[in-house]
Amino acid sequence: MPKRTKAHNQGRRNFLKGMTLAGAAALPVPSAAAGVQIPGNALGRIKASVPGPKLIAAETSPPADDPVTQTSCGADFMVDVLQSLGIEYLAMNCASSIRGLHEAVLNHGGNRPEILTCPHEEIAVHIAQGYAKIEGKPMAMACHGVVGLQHACMAMYNAWCDRIPVIVIGGNIIEADKRAPGADWLHSAIDPAAMVRDFVKWDDQPASLQHFAESAVRAYKVAVTPPMGPVMLSLDAELQENPIKDEGGLRIPKLSKVVPPHGDSGALEELARLLVSAENPVILCDRVARTPAGMTRLVELAETLQCGVIDNGGRMNFPSRHPLNQSFNRSIIAKADVILALELNELWGTLNAFNDRIVRRSRPIYRNGTKIVSLSSRELYTKANYQDFSRYQEADLTIGGDAEQSLPALIEQVNRLIDDSKRASFEARGKKLATAKQAAVEQAKSDATIGWDASPVTTARLCAELYAQIKNEDWSLVGTSIRLSWPHLLWNFDKPYRWNGVSGGGGVGYTLPASLGAALANKKYGRLTVAVGGDGDFLFVPSTLWTAAHHRIPMLYIVHNNRAYHQERMHVQAMALRRSRGISNISTGTVITDPDVDFVTLAKGFGVYAEGPISDPQDLAPALRRAIAVVKSGRPALIDVITEPR
Amino acid sequence: MTGKISCASRSISLTVAALASFALIAFASAQTVSAADPVNGKRVFLAAGCFECHGRLGQGGAYLYSAPVIAGIELPEESFIAFLRNAPNDMPTYSAEVLPDREAKDIYAFLRALPGRTSAKDISILNE
Repeated sequence: MPKRTKAHNQGRRNFLKGMTLAGAAALPVPSAAAGVQIPGNALGRIKASVPGPKLIAAETSPPADDPVTQTSCGADFMVDVLQSLGIEYLAMNCASSIRGLHEAVLNHGGNRPEILTCPHEEIAVHIAQGYAKIEGKPMAMACHGVVGLQHACMAMYNAWCDRIPVIVIGGNIIEADKRAPGADWLHSAIDPAAMVRDFVKWDDQPASLQHFAESAVRAYKVAVTPPMGPVMLSLDAELQENPIKDEGGLRIPKLSKVVPPHGDSGALEELARLLVSAENPVILCDRVARTPAGMTRLVELAETLQCGVIDNGGRMNFPSRHPLNQSFNRSIIAKADVILALELNELWGTLNAFNDRIVRRSRPIYRNGTKIVSLSSRELYTKANYQDFSRYQEADLTIGGDAEQSLPALIEQVNRLIDDSKRASFEARGKKLATAKQAAVEQAKSDATIGWDASPVTTARLCAELYAQIKNEDWSLVGTSIRLSWPHLLWNFDKPYRWNGVSGGGGVGYTLPASLGAALANKKYGRLTVAVGGDGDFLFVPSTLWTAAHHRIPMLYIVHNNRAYHQERMHVQAMALRRSRGISNISTGTVITDPDVDFVTLAKGFGVYAEGPISDPQDLAPALRRAIAVVKSGRPALIDVITEPR
Repeated sequence: MTGKISCASRSISLTVAALASFALIAFASAQTVSAADPVNGKRVFLAAGCFECHGRLGQGGAYLYSAPVIAGIELPEESFIAFLRNAPNDMPTYSAEVLPDREAKDIYAFLRALPGRTSAKDISILNE
């Protein structure tokens, strides 16, 4: 621990009176480059009131055997630490093991970070996940370190697979003799984070307040360093609640973010040579764009090379209507002689066809001899138990480094190698790809016409109607249950916030709360947030709507209501047909009917404007207009649409 | 225009019913054409779960990968049935035990009768 400086060497009493004065002033201000801001409240909250007789007596009298009031608590300092990190929100479901922190956020911190009341911890984590993907920084969530964390687990796994930073705080009571009978024992653990250690990047259970300060800053730093991921701090209730003991010894350490890892310059030079000399290079991308710069850099590389880009959609990597976007023309993989994979979650799955048959089989879809290069921060951090790293894919060159960070150097190397003759051949290649792109778009439009007026509504019609209503707004699509299909085929995704990716781990119950988190981030920028989520997904976390209404978070949520857990229904169907048993029984356990869920009444019960169920496509446009008007007034709205399965 | 197709306002069921009537009349008069029943084909198409991946209108969809458009299928009937009996890739195989030839032919007739694509240019919101 660094030796205390004079500025930090305050006695407990001074800390109590003016900790926020001296402490805030002494807080090392993170560099602007690091992108962390000290919240205004931390500085504006400076108070050093003169102590009254009661306080003086309390502070100067010998300690009572059974004190009934206290004038300091560790949680106040914890709140100062969270504020110093620029954490805007604390998503949580109230819990006795974090009551000390909860109260301190409210009365010491002035509700900063702002508490988001969430009826379920899974909702809280998913809100944080969706928020981080738009805002570019983590939110904190807090819960019981045992039963709350158990609820939060799946969402943490989604965030882990999605490589998204979330700061999870779990309450605990470490000392056995301090636990009350009953709940305190049930809600305590020797090692709360053990349950989630396989899918967090780092965790700690601080034993002192200074330990907390350093661990909180470290947790933030670890979480936002690519490859990003959730982190966890277990907070002892006593540490939160009890008066501060170590007089004046507390200091909030400076946050210095890690510069994202950069690919080796020699390896990037070799990669540039491969790309420039290739006849048909193809770029695959998944979670490249960490910041708005990511998309710009990827566009620059693709345009420089005039090569096709296939976007797996983990982030808003590449404009949907760009002529080089070949995401729906994956046959170019078979013709590629060089494939560059950028931050791919599923490289093997992208380069191989796999068939789910009695005898499972697979085959590469790339040519023998194709050079495969991976540039990814994922190469730098892997864990064992959960298999989200996917099947091992052979590569000719693997560069450990953050793709977004490494792209400028790669582009520079590529530019150095391009001469006029290359430029002419690249241009011809680009023209062919543009033609293929246009053909794919026309094909999609033509396919979209099938069943245009049918009921249930086709997903193509739903997406076309929705886009017609939002295209002139500053929209942001932050969730979809219909794969990366119609919106990405038909809509113009041209800005970094138009899309924010998928769940990561495929855990159901993501779309509604993660969309709300993204909507919260979009709110301050005045964007129109829209999402399309499945009915089955919705039913895991319906009370998210209450959080939306309570916190006045504007979002248009379309329920893609096919009245089934449809993917699973198809799986059971496949099993029944494989066994020649027919499918007459497959509805059991897979459909959501009898009764049909009344999503509108459900939403209204949570205080959210709602319309539906809409089964006639002619009714969509007016309903969307009314709902968008509600959203633009600052409130959430829901439309239940009875749709085709896919 | 908000998306209504001017020339495609007939419902699928009307189309199928009309084609079925035509088929029945033709059968009664000539007794030479296939007796495949597209109305029953629609029933079986739904009951057999074909729509789960391909959509009720044969518009295509997805299971593990994209499932193709099959409205207005151009595959010959024999090839279609052979395909069902030994389906490739991720398509589940429909054995004769669960889908007799008679019903497979009805499904084929239904798919053939589906209107399929229309002109996207006539739908303004597909061109924005």
